[in-house]
Amino acid sequence: MDWNLILFVSKWATIGVFYSVLLFLLFGVYREMTGSMRKVKTANTITYGRLYVRNAGDDKHIRVGAIFDLKTETRLGADTDNDVVLRDSYVSGHHAVLRWDGVTWWVEDLRSRNGTMVNDQPCEPGLPQPLANGSVLTLGEMEFVLIDQDAE
Amino acid sequence: MRKEQAVTRPVEGMALILIAIFLLLAFFSANAALQVRQGLSPWTSLPGALLPPLLVIVTFTLFHRFLALQNIQSEQILFPVVCLLFSVGLVVIWRLRGADGAWQQISRGFLPGILLAGLLVARPQWIEHIRRWAIPLCMAGLALPVLTGLFGSVDETGARLALKIGPLPAIQTSEPLKLILIIFLAWFIEQHGQVAEGRGHILFGWLRLPAFKYFVPGVLFVVLATGALVLMADYGAVLILACIFIGLLYVGFEMRTFLAVIAIGAALALLMGLILTVAWEVPAVIQYRFQAFQDPWSREMILVNGQPSGVTIADGPGYQIQQAIYAVTAGGITGSGLGFGSPDYVPLAYSDFIFAAVVEELGSIIGAAILFLFAVLLLRIFRAVLQLPPELMFERLMLVGIGVHLFTQVFVMVGGTLNVLPVTGVTIPFLSLGGMALITNLVEIGLVLALIRRQEMAAQDV
Repeated sequence: MDWNLILFVSKWATIGVFYSVLLFLLFGVYREMTGSMRKVKTANTITYGRLYVRNAGDDKHIRVGAIFDLKTETRLGADTDNDVVLRDSYVSGHHAVLRWDGVTWWVEDLRSRNGTMVNDQPCEPGLPQPLANGSVLTLGEMEFVLIDQDAE
Repeated sequence: MRKEQAVTRPVEGMALILIAIFLLLAFFSANAALQVRQGLSPWTSLPGALLPPLLVIVTFTLFHRFLALQNIQSEQILFPVVCLLFSVGLVVIWRLRGADGAWQQISRGFLPGILLAGLLVARPQWIEHIRRWAIPLCMAGLALPVLTGLFGSVDETGARLALKIGPLPAIQTSEPLKLILIIFLAWFIEQHGQVAEGRGHILFGWLRLPAFKYFVPGVLFVVLATGALVLMADYGAVLILACIFIGLLYVGFEMRTFLAVIAIGAALALLMGLILTVAWEVPAVIQYRFQAFQDPWSREMILVNGQPSGVTIADGPGYQIQQAIYAVTAGGITGSGLGFGSPDYVPLAYSDFIFAAVVEELGSIIGAAILFLFAVLLLRIFRAVLQLPPELMFERLMLVGIGVHLFTQVFVMVGGTLNVLPVTGVTIPFLSLGGMALITNLVEIGLVLALIRRQEMAAQDV
């Protein structure tokens, strides 16, 4: 038996098998990434609206262009017990709350220090105000655009 | 809400089958090459040669089944990567040290390590105990290396690395010390980091320095650990410890706090260095290692007690670097083939310098792939960190520390082998022959898997 030939073949086979493990693991990573992305899309709970960040003020944790999914009642403010925490220095601890009543989004200012504005019109504190798709919401220096999923 | 039937882990299973093929093929060709070179028939010794890989394959399969039974659904990449690295190391150790070396690697490092990792995965709530009992644990962990430094057995190179208690095999206490440091720093930053940061002094209008009292326990712990390692003359471990320390400070604190602490640390280190160069001689080991790094073929004499000893650097500390360079060049792109090279010329080719042996026999194509695998390992660990919620500061910091530990070991030792860094004696995780080192690394992988499992359980209960 020609052992030199066998060993030559097995040397290349070893390298080949090693790289096939490597490629297979990469394939696994790829499949996991695409799979989990698909899972996120299907397993996501139904959202009725989103907030698009147009101006992040001096909050370093939020980028312009970020999008928040909204729950049917979403609290906004600087304190950490809010649903969406905004660290802008002009945002109060409990600043405002967004509510979905099944038809329309409503914003209520929670008597914040610097107030809430809808399309540059100040809200009256404690009085809910309706929001249309594309309304611009201003809290302190931060600006958001409401995306109403039903209207899309 | 728990699923009744066990989950399947198809990617991991398939990868393990390929790894099994790799192991058998590699042991077959290494055995055949060694026998053919001696003019013997390869068939007679084949069953004995295939025994260690078969045992390892069985262990891999059992652990894979175990993970599936524990209902871990994600993270099917981490364990195969570790298996593949360990397999490459085992083949090279078997080829260099014979069956004894391979069995030592399996029985003193691999099996206990896998067992401990399995225990951690089965009982992820132990991590909470580790967090709660961090202080006693760290005290005990610190006592061991201090004892070793004072009473440990001295080996031929003058390093006190091992502690022998009774009839047990000697323990390398500097290896678990790194894990203990990771646990201690993670615990300390979680307990006091936020407070320390909040009450910081402001320097130069931007930098923030935590109050002095928050430094004391951390610095005390690090100084004690470093002192023990210097007593043990284990300078590689000091380097790893420093990297873990800096890495965790970087992750655990805000940038301006980190910079302030590091600036003060660097200033203190410079001052200490200046004092030490005047008052105290740099340990000869470090000095000659550095000279050997600059020129492994240097003809300069090594001084012993101020007298020339007749040994040049090229014969002494430079020798292993020269041999490592020769081995790497001899390997070339595809290597000489398992069993056809002569990596036995490299001193310590089975432990510290295993990368040179791997590159010589399997080629730099496999060497590069191994570095790539370590990168994948690091990224998978960091991915696990990102999947933990931010409130679990201790767990997140611990995982980052583990990643940094594995990465620095590879970086320092591969750099030393290829003569881009001065040589420091550390092992390459999962590749090198080593009892305690391998156990520590496998326990770290166990911690990662346990935290992933705990997170999945928490997500299912909601």
